[in-house]
Amino acid sequence: MNPDIIIGLNQSVGLIVLLSTSIGVLIGLIVGMIPGLTISTGIIVFLPITFVLPPDVSIALLLGLYVGGMTGGSFSAVLLNIPGTPSASATAIDGYPMASSGNAGRALGIAITASFVGGIVSFLFLFLVAPILAEFALNFRTEDMFSIILFGMTIICSFSAGSLVKGLLSAAIGLAIVTVGQDPVMGTQRFTFGEVNLMAGVHFLTALIGLFAIPQLISHISDQTNLRAVTQSKIKSILPNISDLKIIKFPIILGSLIGSFLGTLPGAGGPIAAFISYDYAKKISKRPERFGKGTIEGVAAPESANNAVTGGALIPMMTLGIPGDPVTAILIGALIVHGLAPGPLMFLERADFAYGVIFSFFWANIFNFLIAILSLRVLVKVLDTPRSILMPSLAVLCVVGSFALRNNFFDVYIMLFFGLIGISMKWLEMPVVPLLLALVLGGQLEENLRVALTGSQGDISIFFTSPISLSFIILSIVSVIWSFRSNKKYKQITN
Amino acid sequence: MRRKNITAAIVIIVMAMIYGLITLQLPTRSLPDTPGPTFFPWINVVIILFLSVLLLLSSAFTKENGSQDTKRKDETQNNQNLRGLWAIIGFSIYLIILPNFGFLISTIPFFAFLMILFSEKRPLYILSNSIGITFLFYFVFRHGFNIFLPQGVLHDVVLRLIL
Repeated sequence: MNPDIIIGLNQSVGLIVLLSTSIGVLIGLIVGMIPGLTISTGIIVFLPITFVLPPDVSIALLLGLYVGGMTGGSFSAVLLNIPGTPSASATAIDGYPMASSGNAGRALGIAITASFVGGIVSFLFLFLVAPILAEFALNFRTEDMFSIILFGMTIICSFSAGSLVKGLLSAAIGLAIVTVGQDPVMGTQRFTFGEVNLMAGVHFLTALIGLFAIPQLISHISDQTNLRAVTQSKIKSILPNISDLKIIKFPIILGSLIGSFLGTLPGAGGPIAAFISYDYAKKISKRPERFGKGTIEGVAAPESANNAVTGGALIPMMTLGIPGDPVTAILIGALIVHGLAPGPLMFLERADFAYGVIFSFFWANIFNFLIAILSLRVLVKVLDTPRSILMPSLAVLCVVGSFALRNNFFDVYIMLFFGLIGISMKWLEMPVVPLLLALVLGGQLEENLRVALTGSQGDISIFFTSPISLSFIILSIVSVIWSFRSNKKYKQITN
Repeated sequence: MRRKNITAAIVIIVMAMIYGLITLQLPTRSLPDTPGPTFFPWINVVIILFLSVLLLLSSAFTKENGSQDTKRKDETQNNQNLRGLWAIIGFSIYLIILPNFGFLISTIPFFAFLMILFSEKRPLYILSNSIGITFLFYFVFRHGFNIFLPQGVLHDVVLRLIL
């Protein structure tokens, strides 16, 4: 057996790493279940805390948060009919009617079990596919990397369903922001206006805190829907019985496979995977008429799919350095902060660490199941936490987080500046995710483009003569078309 | 939405032009037939200008369905936005005083202010939570994570006055 696998496994079962994974899961379950707080915001807020931790411990915590957040979203979807995360939207369709008819515990038990199976299937997918893909990716040259990053950026189309022009504009603004600081090839200062703090460019995480957390805070202040005293549903037995397991067997397997596959494609993400799985589960069901009225298959299929997306999304992140969804984009930033660049070289130079991440993902799914099942009755009490305490705490954490990044107050002002940009974009109904992607991938995109063109002395045909580059350009076009088609299908199903 | 789009497009066009003007002044260090430091910013300028003009034109030629309901909804939205505006002002003031007064002294009133914005009316509840949570954060970050939060130049003076 590959010795790196053993080292990675050992790394993931260290006491501190396991503790960190379980804490991450617990935080994720809480963050996920609070409507309005996305997993991205949760990770962004807790990310600065991980700077002082070793890389394996901090990544384990963030992976736990990612996995826990996906499951936590289903709690509020079932109990309140308000999905904690967009990925849990499909779960609410059948989960809430089940809770309304006194089966809240059963619905949550099904959701937790389905999430567990989905997570484990996607772990296997990640464990088997990632090393092979990474080995293949070692042959990539700069022109290929440019096309791959371009392919990664096609995720923009999925988040621009309202207006493609606005989505692309958002990404273009992000690309302009990454040009602030030293130019990545020649080191020339650009757009720094003599400000020393801008020489290293705008820190991606500072911008992220501002773009995601501040608009969310302001929107909660502006729109104060009282969500207290709504968790009145009594939770009786949680673990699903044998007859339930027999019924949900196929929807769970179907959801896990769809989620794992769609997770690998940039732009697909949890909500689309959940709705597509729900749709297929309904099609293969012997009792499709019961969907929407509180059937357990309707909870199992989307829940297994959205948790399976997590492992799938980690594949392009770890092997190619391109994010599968917004959360993995933030995880790339977290790895870079710890001096680790995700991509094919990670499996060559730090294979032990890469396998450690994969196994931490496995433990995150195990802890997710155990913590969710054992502490469900206590966890749902979080839904009663007053916003008047939760949101001011979030505001203070944003300030502390952006300050802790480099112990520099300038970053806090940058965070506020991006917060104002985020608020303006929300007001203008411009999607923020394309800007986030441009901030993550923009630097690499420019560097690879310029190095490739320098090598070919300005001849752009280099991107079309390399088979790998050409394949990814074609894949980018396919991905754009596919994104539009699945968005259309998603809208049809949600309507 | 139409008016918002037109405003956004005009603002972005102006910003792109400023970005382009600054790009013009950047040093052009480059080998023959290879892209220099201004290459990527110029691509951005072209893309941003093209897309914002497209947004401007598409919005300008789109008719808006301004029903009575939408107008009423807009009024409610404005009232809600006012509270959001107060939060932004409070946030800005907090960030201005934070380096001078330090984390503890500035965060307590800021926390209380946000609690009031969240329609909290019980004075003792506001006071206890704003002080308790601020101190909790301070000790967790300072002693748990070794993150030295700003003490502020007036920290010692104010603490001496209080104690």
